This record gives sequence, structure tokens and C-alpha cells, in this order.
Amino acid sequence: MTPILTSLRTTLTGYLRYRGREGHYSFLMHRLTGLGTLLFLIIHILDTATVYFFPSLYEHAIALYQSTPFMLGEIGLVFAVIYHGVNGLRISVLDLRLPEKWTIATQRGGVRMTFILSTLMWLPAAGVMMYNMLQHNYGMFGG
Amino acid sequence: MQVTLRIFRYNPEIGRTKPTFDSYNLEVEPTDRILDLMEEVKAYHDGTLSFRRSCAHGVCGSDAMRINGSNKLACKVLVQDVSSPITLEPLLGLRVIKDLIVDMEPFMESYRSILPYMVNDDIPEDGKERLQSPEERARFDDTTKCILCAACTTSCPSFWSNGEYVGPAAIVNAHRFIFDSRDKAASERLEILNQRKGVWACRTAFNCTEACPREIHVTQAIAEVKRAVFSGSLE
Ligand code: HEM
Ligand code: SF4
Ligand code: FES
Repeated sequence: MTPILTSLRTTLTGYLRYRGREGHYSFLMHRLTGLGTLLFLIIHILDTATVYFFPSLYEHAIALYQSTPFMLGEIGLVFAVIYHGVNGLRISVLDLRLPEKWTIATQRGGVRMTFILSTLMWLPAAGVMMYNMLQHNYGMFGG
Repeated sequence: MQVTLRIFRYNPEIGRTKPTFDSYNLEVEPTDRILDLMEEVKAYHDGTLSFRRSCAHGVCGSDAMRINGSNKLACKVLVQDVSSPITLEPLLGLRVIKDLIVDMEPFMESYRSILPYMVNDDIPEDGKERLQSPEERARFDDTTKCILCAACTTSCPSFWSNGEYVGPAAIVNAHRFIFDSRDKAASERLEILNQRKGVWACRTAFNCTEACPREIHVTQAIAEVKRAVFSGSLE
């Protein structure tokens, strides 16, 4: 195998099969949410560009964003951005200001706290978005 | 009690090039170490089983491996600490030579690259000794404990993706000399670690600290070196 394939295989084996503790999963989520947000931003730049280059397609893009799968994806995206941001701040503060707090106890607790905090911040937004989606797409709540 | 030991096997010498697992059912004590089980397999079941061990007491660093998926020293894990079947696999990210033996050379090369020895050509004031206060000694006490087992480096996602990354163990050993008041080569080491393959490849996944059998605060040591690289000062 070529070196690139070997390291890709090692990487995926490690991600999926290494039995790490909280930090392992926090790392995976940070990377996944970062790449996911990046992917969304790229798509979003492309679809917004259609308003200038292909105005007729723009209508279509907007309709697509209002479809149920996309709206559910957007609710997930909000979680991704919140989690990535909160976790990014946690990492920055520890790494830049409080290296002595990089202990096993603070790491395990910190990762759990980050997850709980992100979920609490996400729930209100998710509720409003879910309400709108049910109203628009399914005629609920008198929509 | 009865346990099943599943061991990763690979031996190109006898054409066993497709990695497979061999299972052994063993009658053991809960307080037996995993290394004892491996010795039993080698002595009574299959003499071709290959692994490194030396001290059997957690000081030489020879027998780091994946035990049920995470890096540990086989001589420090007891049967009662893990659930059966107990799966043994070689460290991840280093080439497997045979069974549980990996090629440690890339790991040692990274270790050597950070100048892991004291550099100081000045003559001591009294011509004999370089004195150090207890506080100065305590500054790098934690990182003197490393036994170069590679459990940290091979648990690191950045290392899995990029074998060029010097890895946590090399940074721990750089830390040991960078913060030693008797040493004079801190700036050289900081320059080496400011490269792409240096400290900035660390993504703080923390697997290293969880894996270290010497309970070294690995991620903290890396963060301190990052800060020294960044600020150019040792505080
Ligand atoms: C809310 C503000 C944000 C903060 C505080 C933040 C913080 C961070 C931090 C600290 C890291 C480095 C993690 C480490 O080295 O341990 C990181 C990585 C990353 N961020 Fe963000 N970020 C933010 C927004 C974003 C956005 C909007 C995107 C997408 C466009 C993004 C994409 C990424 C990616 C792809 C990585 C690399 C992940 C990896 O190497 O595993 N981030 N972020
Ligand atoms: S820092 Fe710990 S895990 Fe890493 S090589 Fe040294 S003893 Fe092993
Ligand atoms: S055999 Fe020496 S550390 Fe385990």
C-alpha cells in the first residue's frame, strides 16, 4: 500500500477502534463539527452565488432549504456550531492560559460539561426551528 | 477463573502475512497480569508467539500494546481490570514486524530529533557541579519519569495521520530539558518544535495523558512547551 493509504487506514482504525476516554470522543466531535460546518459554508456560498449567476435556480435552492430533510440538517448544524464553539473555547483557555488544568479529572469532567452546556444552549434554538418547520411543512400550530 | 485471550498474529517469515487473531482459553487468577498470560501461551501453547518484555515491572517500557483497544503496559494490567475476551494488538501507527512487535525506529528517531540530553559547555562555577534549587528541579520533575514506552505517541490521532509528527513522547522529553535550569539548548529545541511536525500538530485529544503508564501530565507538558515556543520565554 502507498504511504497515504496506510496512514488513512491507520487514522480510520484509530478513530473507530481505539478505546479512548472522553477526550478521544471530544476530539472526534470537534473535528466532525468543524468539517461539517465548513462543508455547509461552502455549499451555502455556492447556493447564494446563484442569485447573481442563475437567478432562476436561486428560487429552487430556497425551496430546497425549506424541505424537511434540509431543515432537520440545519437544526443539527446549529448544534455543530455551538458545540464546536464552546469546545474550542474550552481548549483555548486550557491550552493558552491554564496548562496545569490539563489533568485527567478536569478533562473528563470538562468534556461532559461542554456537551451538557452545548445541548442546553442548542435546545431553545432547536425548539423554535422545529416549531417553524412543523408549521410550514406540515400545517401544524395553525400554519 | 476462565478467560479467553485473543492475540493479533502476523509473521511474514512463515508466510503468515494476513493479520489474524489466535484465541486461547486459559485458567487464570484474577490477580495475574496480562503479561503472565502471554508468557503462559508462549511456554505451553505456541512458542512462536513474539512480544517484547524485559523488566515485567513497568519500568523498562518494552511491553506497551493495545489491550482491549487502548494502550497499556501488559505487565501493569491485571486480569481483574479487563473483561474477557482480552484482545491484544500491537501499537497503532508503527510498522508491525512480527505479532506484537512493532518497529520502534521512527519513534526513537523523533526522540533523538529533540536533543534528549543536557547541552552545556560552560565550566561550572566551582569547576565541579552545577547546582540547582529544589524549585528548579521540581519544574521538570514530572517529565523525568518517561520510560519511552510509546503508549502516548501511538494513541495520538495526529500521529496516526502523520507519522512525521514527533509525537507526545518526544515533546515530553524535550520538556524535561527545556525547563532544566542547567541546560543551554532550550531555544534550539523550541525552534525544532516550532516546525509543522512539532507541537502545533497537537490537537489536545488527550489520549496520550490517559495512556501514560507513568501518569505523566503529557498534555500539560505539551501545552507548556507550546507556550514557550509562542512566547519565546521559559517564564
Ligand atoms: C465559534 C467560533 C469557533 C471557535 C471558538 C473555534 C475554535 C477552534 C479551535 C480552538 C480549534 C483547534 C482545536 C485544537 O487544536 O485542539 C478549531 C479547529 C477547527 N475548526 Fe474551529 N472554531 C470556531 C468556528 C469554526 C467554524 C465556523 C468552522 C467551519 C468553517 C470551523 C472549522 C474548524 C476545523 C475544520 C477545525 C480543525 C479540526 C481538527 O483539526 O480536528 N471552526 N476550532
Ligand atoms: S510519556 Fe508516558 S506514555 Fe509516553 S513514552 Fe513516556 S512513559 Fe510512555
Ligand atoms: S516489561 Fe518492562 S515495562 Fe512491562
